Amino acid sequence: MGEPAALRTTRSGDAGARTSPSGLPRERGTIGSSIAVRDAVKRYGSFHAVDRISIDIEPGEFITLLGPSGSGKTTLLNLVAGFQSLDNGEILVDGKPVHNVPTHKRGFGMVFQSYALFPNMTVSQNVAFPLRMAGVDRAATDRRVAETLEIMRLTEHATKSPSQMSGGQQQRVAIARAIVRRPRVVLMDEPLSALDRRLRESIQIEIRDLHRTIGSTILFVTHDQGEALTMSDRIAVLNAGKIVQIGRPLDIYRHPTDRFVASFIGESNLIEAEILQKRGSTLTMKNRAGYVFNAESRDTIDVGRATVLVRPERIAVSNEPTANSTPVSVTSAIFLGEILRIEAHMEGGEPLLIRCTDMADRPLPSVGDRLHVSWGAADCWVLA
Amino acid sequence: MSSASISVQAHRPAGLDLVRRLKDPALLLLPALAFLAFIYLLPLIDLIRISVSGPSWSSYFARVFAIPLYWDSLVRTMQISVTVAGLCLLFGYPTALLIHRSRGIAQVLIATAIVLPYFIAILIRTYAWMVLLGRNGPINKLLVSIGILSEPVQLLFNRGTVLLGMTAVLLPLMVLTIYSSVARLDQSLARAALASGAGPIAAFWRVMLPLTLPGMGAGFLLVFVAAIGFFITPTLLGGPGDQMFAMHITQQADSVTSEGFLQALGVVLLTITLAVVAVAGRFLGFEFIWGGRKLTEAAPRATDRHTGDAGRRSFGASVADAIGWPLLRLFGRLPASCGTWTVRLMGGLVIAVLILPIIVVMIISFSSASYLTFPPPGFSLRWYEQFFSDSNWMRAFWTSLVVAAMSAAIAIALGASAALGIVRSNIRGKSAIMLLLVSPIIVPPVVLGLSLYSLFLRFDLVGSVFGLAAAHAIGGLPIVVVILSASLQGVDTRLEQAAAVHGASSLTVFRLVTLPAIMPGLAAATFFAFLHSFDELVLTLFLSSAQLKTLPLMLWGDVNYRLNPVLAVVSTLEVLLVIAGLVLARPVLATSRKATSQ
Repeated sequence: MGEPAALRTTRSGDAGARTSPSGLPRERGTIGSSIAVRDAVKRYGSFHAVDRISIDIEPGEFITLLGPSGSGKTTLLNLVAGFQSLDNGEILVDGKPVHNVPTHKRGFGMVFQSYALFPNMTVSQNVAFPLRMAGVDRAATDRRVAETLEIMRLTEHATKSPSQMSGGQQQRVAIARAIVRRPRVVLMDEPLSALDRRLRESIQIEIRDLHRTIGSTILFVTHDQGEALTMSDRIAVLNAGKIVQIGRPLDIYRHPTDRFVASFIGESNLIEAEILQKRGSTLTMKNRAGYVFNAESRDTIDVGRATVLVRPERIAVSNEPTANSTPVSVTSAIFLGEILRIEAHMEGGEPLLIRCTDMADRPLPSVGDRLHVSWGAADCWVLA
Repeated sequence: MSSASISVQAHRPAGLDLVRRLKDPALLLLPALAFLAFIYLLPLIDLIRISVSGPSWSSYFARVFAIPLYWDSLVRTMQISVTVAGLCLLFGYPTALLIHRSRGIAQVLIATAIVLPYFIAILIRTYAWMVLLGRNGPINKLLVSIGILSEPVQLLFNRGTVLLGMTAVLLPLMVLTIYSSVARLDQSLARAALASGAGPIAAFWRVMLPLTLPGMGAGFLLVFVAAIGFFITPTLLGGPGDQMFAMHITQQADSVTSEGFLQALGVVLLTITLAVVAVAGRFLGFEFIWGGRKLTEAAPRATDRHTGDAGRRSFGASVADAIGWPLLRLFGRLPASCGTWTVRLMGGLVIAVLILPIIVVMIISFSSASYLTFPPPGFSLRWYEQFFSDSNWMRAFWTSLVVAAMSAAIAIALGASAALGIVRSNIRGKSAIMLLLVSPIIVPPVVLGLSLYSLFLRFDLVGSVFGLAAAHAIGGLPIVVVILSASLQGVDTRLEQAAAVHGASSLTVFRLVTLPAIMPGLAAATFFAFLHSFDELVLTLFLSSAQLKTLPLMLWGDVNYRLNPVLAVVSTLEVLLVIAGLVLARPVLATSRKATSQ
């Protein structure tokens, strides 16, 4: 889980003396830019791809735009990159408007899903490209390219052509190209989705470490919620051209603001329940099956019905009835290694998803088995 | 927040919209469109204007249809064109299958045998047939030596030779059109049919044939439309009874008295051509003309297309059902290898018909005899000497080179810009604009030549090198636009974005990313535009003067008056030029294919 506060002290501290996780001394002076998007609108005909989005990104922050396809996350990234022009609103980098600045003068780095390495150039020529464009002299270019290839562990591939490399290597070249100029902003458009799972995880870690090393602001687009949770300082969840929630990964996971966020991020049980009474911030609720439970709520709702989010791993399971438990019947049980994933029905027929650690003392439940489940007030979250 | 957005609107510089509009890629279409409007559309409109300028608008047309000579010739033109298109389809389809089924070096050789003649001038290929079928030609010699004939006879100048010559000339067009539709088929479809229990013949009839029906239709119509306007081959190979409609226009072109009537003849030919293309385009989509993919258009179109597709497919299926099943039962009794052998036999025949005349002409160019005879009594370079020492030939050769180079330059400059405009802009009606840019391929050259003649007279361009080059560029432009828009569509826009985001300006992006990616296409387009002009005869017949003679024009004169081996020398040089071009283009084409398959 991200701990932005700790990260930020690392960045603002005496950077030169420290050693980054990738084992290389940190480059001094690269501090990310702040990015502010104000009221951004992008229309295609009558379709609002980006619908009045505003977002403030702090210097050096790793922020992820997360959403299903068509949610507008890539369009927003393209607007920041300058590939598309705003229909309304503005984009500020370090307080200065950039939305009328052509892409090539914005000075960003970018990593593409398809790598987008120039096929007519070698690895080192690809990496040198941004420096060449910036008019950096030859000696400095060579030195910076060598450094960056070293960071990305690509030194022995320098003279290869991109087509001779594996997908993971190509993506590391693309990352090297994006960071070689030590840009204050790096944009990443689903950079890992073309890679297989194992490689994806190792490059996730690499990108995180890199972020600490170079200190650039990273704007990362993905549709993979796991990726967003592990990598980001903050996540902005998009749906239908709007930001539905923005916050730290833990907050978003634990305290989603609506059903969309709750079901898009992580697995979830959304239980309809009636509010029986309210005492302080604790609500006493009853669901269709007649199960009465307590739930914490930040909101001021106190009567009527509400949707309660219960994460599958927060449900306690036992074979025998316990205090304040309710029976469920198992419809499927899958052994996933360290975890059991159980699908069950509550008495009212409502489905319930349970994830629990492997129970060594008893066999895998089979279909039709009765189990007893319960959850406490701290395990649920009442959605508005 | 709303007040903020208003202030943003107000802050936006006033000139920005103008700047943005000036950067719109659609503007790149303007030079080519202006060029075509002036030198192509305007003359055609003028042609129509003159054709209706008689006492009443229809008086010239009434004369065309009243004189039996023209009516008969129109009917004959239709008959010949349908026959030629039918023959091309009959022989072209197995040949396309043969290319598709063969592998490795065999495929390369067979494909080359089809493509090579495609790029050699029609005049030269027709001349090769005259040599082959002539009194002293190899066919007569062969027939005499095996005793079928007692002495050489006149094989030329009849309907049969017209059909043979035109079919041979147009076969590559048919084969390449069908091949592109066969090659696009999913390989696993045929396997799926076989796995479902269909025999090879049934799989062919029920799966391959219906799916390639649009390709066959496109090939048939392209050949038919080209045949309607044919002029060179029937003139050289036909007898008095084989006059085709386009020939009347050139015959009448010199007499001033026929002003108006002449234009009416042209309009009749143009109308028939356009009507056929319009009907065909309705069913096949106008993309059949350039064999291209549909350009990305506004979304609603997509649904229309799907329903159209479905209709076409079910039509294909019902045709296959009605004719296919009875035949299939019959064929079921034949051994399975029968189909394979039919394809090999017919494909082999086609290759022989395409390649043999060229080989005979190349051999004859080294003949030591002073007249055309095959096999040559001995070998010498005397005809090459004569060609290179004859100042008339050399002047014509240089004129052709200069005209072709200029024409290619014009076509590339306008065509590359237009291709960028059409691929990169978001304007509406892209298909219509593409159709206009490509339409010169369809217009019969005779009609185009006739219409240009009056324009050139008015601006005193007849006999000017630049005028001729510009006229040739009308036909070169579609070639360039088709090739370059295809290669531009293959360019990964992400690469361009990657360059831009890392600091490359638009011009640098074009130079470093776009240009290298379309380089193969650009090279091919330049070569073909050059070749188009270098081979062009019909427009040149109208637009050149006694001082300005191109190589094809010299050839044309000589073919009509004295058939000597110098022509074989010119033909051999042209063949070598095309081969050199193809060899140079081969690695380029191979890499472009690899790039698109990635």
